[in-house]
Amino acid sequence: MEIKRRDFLKILGVSGVTAAVSGCSSETSRTLIPYLIPENEVVPGQATWYATVCRECPAGCGILAKTMEGRAVKVEGNPDHPVNQGRLCARGQASLQGLYNPDRIRQPLRRGADGNLQPVSWDEAERILAGRISELKGQGDRLAFITPVMAGSLDRLIDLWLKSVGGGKRLRYEPLSYESLREANRIAFGVQEIPVYNLQNANFILSFGADFLETWLSPVEYARHFALRRAYRAGSMGRSVYVGPRISLTGANSDEWIPVQPGNESFLALGMVNAILAEGLAEGLPAPELKGLQDIVAPHTPEAVAKQVGISADKIRVLARAFVKKHPSVALADAKSSNATDICVAVNLLNYVAGNVGATVRFGAEAAMAQVSSYGSFQKHLREIEQGAISILFVAGVNPLFNLPEGKRLRERLGKIPFVVSFSSFPDETTESAQLVLPENTFFESWGDYEPWTGIRGLQQPVMEPLYDTRALGDILLLLSTRLQNNEKLPWKNFYFYLRDQWKELYRRIKPDVDFETFWTESVRRGGNFQSVATKSVQLNPEVFKKSFQPPVFAGAGDGFALIPYPTLAFYDGRMANRPWLQELPDPVSQIVWENWLEIHPSDAEKLGIKKNDLLQIQSPAGEIKLPARISKNVRPGIVAIPVGQGHSAFGRYAQGRGASPMSLLSAEPEADSGALIWYGTRVAVRQTGLKHMLASTSGNDRSHDRGIVQTISLAALQSGIEKKEHPHLLRMYAEHHHDKHRWGMVIDLNACVGCSACVVACSAENNIPIMGKEEVAYGREMSWIRIQRYDEGTDERPDHHFIPMLCQNCDNAPCEPVCPVYATYHNPEGLNAQVYNRCVGTRYCSNNCPYKVRRFNWHTAQWPEPLNLQLNPNVTVREMGVMEKCTFCVQRIRGAELAAKEENRDLRDGEIVPACSQTCPTRAIVFGDLHDPESEVAKLAKNPRGYHVLEHLNTQPAITYLKKIKAGPVEG
Amino acid sequence: MAKNKVADSLTGLVGTFFHLDSLLQAIEQLRQAGYRDLQSFSPVPHHNIDATLEKPPSPVRYFTLAGCLLGAATGLTLTIATSLHYPLITGGKPIVSIPPFLVIVFELTILFGGLLTLGGMLFNSRLPKVNIGPAYNPRFSEDQFGLWVRCEQKDHETVTTLLKSAGAEEIIPAGQGREL
Amino acid sequence: MAQLTYHQVDSDILRAMQAPGWRYYTLLSIDLIVVAWGIFAWRYTVQHGLGVWGLTHPVMWAMDITNFVFWVGIAHSGTLISAILYLFRVRWRASIYRTAEAVTVFALFTAGLFPIIHLGRPWVFHWLLPYSQFGGLWVNFRSPLVWDVFAVMTYMIISVLFFFTGLVPDMAVVRNRTSGWRQKIYAFMAQGWQGTDRQWRHYKAAYVFLAALATPLVISVHSVVSWDFAQSVVAGWHSTIFAPYFVAGAIHSGLAMVITLLIPLRRIYRLDAYITQQHLENLAKLIILTGLIVGYAYAVETYIAWYSNNVPEWQRFTYQVTGEYAIPFWIMILFNSLVPLLFFVKRIRTSTPWLFAIAILINIGMWMERFVIIVTGLAHEYDPYSWGVFIPTWVDISITLGAFAWFFLWFLLFIKFLPVISIVEVKEELPPPTRSQNGEE
Repeated sequence: MEIKRRDFLKILGVSGVTAAVSGCSSETSRTLIPYLIPENEVVPGQATWYATVCRECPAGCGILAKTMEGRAVKVEGNPDHPVNQGRLCARGQASLQGLYNPDRIRQPLRRGADGNLQPVSWDEAERILAGRISELKGQGDRLAFITPVMAGSLDRLIDLWLKSVGGGKRLRYEPLSYESLREANRIAFGVQEIPVYNLQNANFILSFGADFLETWLSPVEYARHFALRRAYRAGSMGRSVYVGPRISLTGANSDEWIPVQPGNESFLALGMVNAILAEGLAEGLPAPELKGLQDIVAPHTPEAVAKQVGISADKIRVLARAFVKKHPSVALADAKSSNATDICVAVNLLNYVAGNVGATVRFGAEAAMAQVSSYGSFQKHLREIEQGAISILFVAGVNPLFNLPEGKRLRERLGKIPFVVSFSSFPDETTESAQLVLPENTFFESWGDYEPWTGIRGLQQPVMEPLYDTRALGDILLLLSTRLQNNEKLPWKNFYFYLRDQWKELYRRIKPDVDFETFWTESVRRGGNFQSVATKSVQLNPEVFKKSFQPPVFAGAGDGFALIPYPTLAFYDGRMANRPWLQELPDPVSQIVWENWLEIHPSDAEKLGIKKNDLLQIQSPAGEIKLPARISKNVRPGIVAIPVGQGHSAFGRYAQGRGASPMSLLSAEPEADSGALIWYGTRVAVRQTGLKHMLASTSGNDRSHDRGIVQTISLAALQSGIEKKEHPHLLRMYAEHHHDKHRWGMVIDLNACVGCSACVVACSAENNIPIMGKEEVAYGREMSWIRIQRYDEGTDERPDHHFIPMLCQNCDNAPCEPVCPVYATYHNPEGLNAQVYNRCVGTRYCSNNCPYKVRRFNWHTAQWPEPLNLQLNPNVTVREMGVMEKCTFCVQRIRGAELAAKEENRDLRDGEIVPACSQTCPTRAIVFGDLHDPESEVAKLAKNPRGYHVLEHLNTQPAITYLKKIKAGPVEG
Repeated sequence: MAKNKVADSLTGLVGTFFHLDSLLQAIEQLRQAGYRDLQSFSPVPHHNIDATLEKPPSPVRYFTLAGCLLGAATGLTLTIATSLHYPLITGGKPIVSIPPFLVIVFELTILFGGLLTLGGMLFNSRLPKVNIGPAYNPRFSEDQFGLWVRCEQKDHETVTTLLKSAGAEEIIPAGQGREL
Repeated sequence: MAQLTYHQVDSDILRAMQAPGWRYYTLLSIDLIVVAWGIFAWRYTVQHGLGVWGLTHPVMWAMDITNFVFWVGIAHSGTLISAILYLFRVRWRASIYRTAEAVTVFALFTAGLFPIIHLGRPWVFHWLLPYSQFGGLWVNFRSPLVWDVFAVMTYMIISVLFFFTGLVPDMAVVRNRTSGWRQKIYAFMAQGWQGTDRQWRHYKAAYVFLAALATPLVISVHSVVSWDFAQSVVAGWHSTIFAPYFVAGAIHSGLAMVITLLIPLRRIYRLDAYITQQHLENLAKLIILTGLIVGYAYAVETYIAWYSNNVPEWQRFTYQVTGEYAIPFWIMILFNSLVPLLFFVKRIRTSTPWLFAIAILINIGMWMERFVIIVTGLAHEYDPYSWGVFIPTWVDISITLGAFAWFFLWFLLFIKFLPVISIVEVKEELPPPTRSQNGEE
């Protein structure tokens, strides 16, 4: 990551100024930057990188924002940030489309007499709000403030502010919360926390429905861990088994999928504990604990469990043995059924008996997610609302009207609140029903800090001036308190100074041997302050021995299907649905774009006579929705799965009116033990409507038809040692042509690639790739230069998903080149298959002759609705209609690095040039470099015995070497 | 009509025939009588006419040959020179890749050959011709034959008798462009 | 034809050129409307981008290139009849070669449009022409598309030359029959032709050599067109049989088109004396030959697809036979290789209705052949993830119809402005008037 370091140095000198300058940004509304006397860090044509924190999900990854001419054009992971170590997920990459979203709220709005929201000035808005608050006359508890988990200074400021207006109810709401996990940790270990999971040390990851590659806690971090441990080292590799009702991306990347009815996970876990204890595999347990445990799990013999869960007792024993023998292993639980806490407790016990607690499961540094207010307490407040106990509601950064079940009833309840204030930057469902809208800055435009895990404090600085007449939430509150003459309680001029004071306290606590300014500047530069926290050891909490384990209960008709609503990699809980990149990003497993669907097992579909794309009516006691059918073996029979995130009734042009949200089908009743929302507690009736609704998929065919595109090798074969062999009969008609200095090449490790698709979005952001919309994509006209091809190599009853990133192979003997009549594509001396957009006349012959089908044609002139155009990368041509385009290994970055090396007159360093896809890959599956330099990482990897070229027999001599995926097969023990 | 703008050109007589054999007979008789500058008109080509007039074979073939050679040369030069002038590698093939270039060479061979053949024809048969000599009679393009004999005023007598004897339906004095 | 006289020939053939009746004008105006519609469709494409066509990733060529190949193919029979049969001294060609040659020229006028129409940025089509551009960058002579440019251009120029050379003596006849501005035009086209022995001698020589050049040219042109496909790596395109297969197919379709045009022509202008049943029957016999060659090519393709034991090849073939485009495929098999076999029956090949019907079917079949080859090859290529389907839009169809109308427009004008049968060559076939058999009326 040399290049980033250099960028840091560039910033280092000026970041103090940065701090000062941007610090004022919250006061000034200046958005134009004079070029005659450029600000220190604004050099036309020169990129400046600012470290900040991604706030798109609670994982709190560190990011570097690349700004040119004063606007952010690309975000990349912050290599110094311990959570994501320089990588980002698809959502992080798409965060810029939040900043530049054409549907952003551009100034304060108030609900007028006609019931519509109308623009007002900040001054007016503050006056109105201040008036309302003073009407409370000290009855502060009539005011409720809903925010997401903020885990930082702003969080504390809000509490202070609430106190200053006489108290008030504070809710930290996260749709994807972990109450049951937290509660289970209290029951099992007496600590109501969410621990740190060290997956990179786990030889065996047993996931009970925890989709840690998509949304669970900290996906980028865990994807890295997962790939690290899955890598083949010294004859072995980490193994993983996924237990759950459907194959998620995480499931697809595991060695095995054990389909169970939702809620039965607890019994499987207990059965394993039982087996472990029975076989005396649990070591070093104090006698009383052992006794207590044996009592708990006594009824759950493998045989008993086998009957309940529907997998053989032997299988349970095998898993149990493997789980212990492969120590350290780890069991993860993301329980969402009515007995969620039971499941988490059972999994805790499993980890405990296998000796993982303290090894791969470490208490001490807890996750910010533990601060979430439980869904149960949310329900409580809603009841208060109904009794009219709340007269003012502040909503900031969350969209409960979309995320909470029984949306309709909720809307009525909110209607009972005289005054709802939304601070959202987007016209989401909740904002639609607000009386006053005070749009807050996006995190790119505001100061802040976020502490995802104790000790990891990301510092968030504005990377550009606010795009519109919006303000940071902290500033709004402070200005408000000025109006309310609360200054003595909140004496800060604006949030920036409050933040600094907060960090002064931190400074005092950790006492670094530098003065505060240096400490502050350094923190701003590095994007935060990162301390490791000591692990605290935990014992079993006696309470656990009294625990009894209940089977799951379901609302709705018994003959219905158990409903599995699941958050998706692209939309998280739905908050990302207004990002066109993510809407057009194919779901890795289903390859569907722009809409959601209902997933049903073929056998069930057959029973109901359901065909692909039939529009179905899905009905639960709470409500009903309509969705098209996707028939797939990714779900076990008896359940139906629906992705969460689509089905917005507001939230802008890209999100509105696509698919439907399954949340409205769930019953509002929280889980008894932990007060969590029960996701998997509803049975639904599925009915034909007789209509069809075509889903847009980018996959022309799910099977690879023995073309050997994704190649695999068995672990056994690898252990027995194999030689890399070239294709037997490849003749060159002509001598290999000359590459003068470099020959750029790439290695993609299919064993590391988990299909998370971050590379796809990163590529779109870097290369100005346009969005085509559902209809065009459905017809096969998507524009992405890199795509994650998903091939199902599975058997009739069990799918087996393989992912392969497919991009231009920059072939040495490129079939696309000689057919172009005008030399619009040719082979450059560095081995790149160059594409000259301005020369292209659009015969499309190159695409016809490309066996990899990685060339994209501009069917129309692409549109970038204001202000999305501000994100366009100034170093990459925006292509016009009628022109062919394709990946060139981010040639603009290659040239940039070469130029930099030339200026410093030195040779390029290996790893100095990093294409966007490779840069963001959380699992480091994509490596780019110079194949001519024998020392380069890429040259070494290309010699790996697992290496192969796609469609090698065509003798195209690709510059990309793929490393075969390792098939480990079922775990044995 | 003898006193028209081609008055200064050669003078002669033109006989009109309804029958091909009469024409051929006339040609033979005149040639025996020493009148060698003859010019026949016919609606269709006929090998006997050329035979009796003992004309050499047409030189158009040499134009064709020259055209083809020129075309081939142009093709080779064009393809090779331009590729070398701006060398770009495509599909790992050499800058001068002859096999594909031969297609261009072939097409240009035909093209130039064809053009020069036409040129040769026009040049040899003195076409295009702006104004048509008085000796020509439209019916020569329809169903009659004509024979123009170059002769001095004094010889008109003899020539007329010869043409008559061969079966000329009508005989008129007519100049004819020098270029014939 | 023995009873015909030179005079009779002139008046018969020139009759077709008399002032047209209302039927002709209605036909012409309908045709013009379709042409206009086609032009509108193309303008629409230029404005909104090729997205308005049914093309998609991976099927980036479809009806555009189908039309190109089809019309180049149509052109071929004309040259076959006028040049090859001429070299072989086939006497019966005399009265049909003018029409056949006209078909060649007009088909090329039509085919020549598509290389431009199919471009994503047609406004820079001149970049395809061989001249020094952007600091001495020329075109890529390795690209089959550039070969196309050269082959089709050459073919068009040579055909036009050949056509007008053949016209010169006839133009003299017309010149002498007309007056006023018409005469001026024809006089120009006649180039001052007098039919002197010298003119005839060089004319005949030039004609032979043009024929001799046109013969290898016509073979090369469709070979080059076939290499657009054979030179690629696409399964189902990359095949060595393509050149002969395409040439045969081209002549197959061309002959069918000639028959389709001759039959009404002969009927309407009462040219039965010149275009006899015998002519049509001979054409039918030629069609049997080309039909058999095409059928053989189909068989070989199938066999090789199986014998090569090449996964993509075989899967593409099975897709072609059973997939979305199965119907066009079976139309092509039926109409091109089976239906023509009916001509083995004398009663069928001598009956005008049968001839006409079958000729039409072959035209359809041959268009489908090109469509099937192009689209099925692309739709199912090496990477199954990128498989796709082409569905024509109204724009595709309008442009295709417009092209047909454009071709017929030229032909309609040809009928009225030029002798549809070569006067001179027909006369040549007649015994010259001699005293012995007193040819005078």
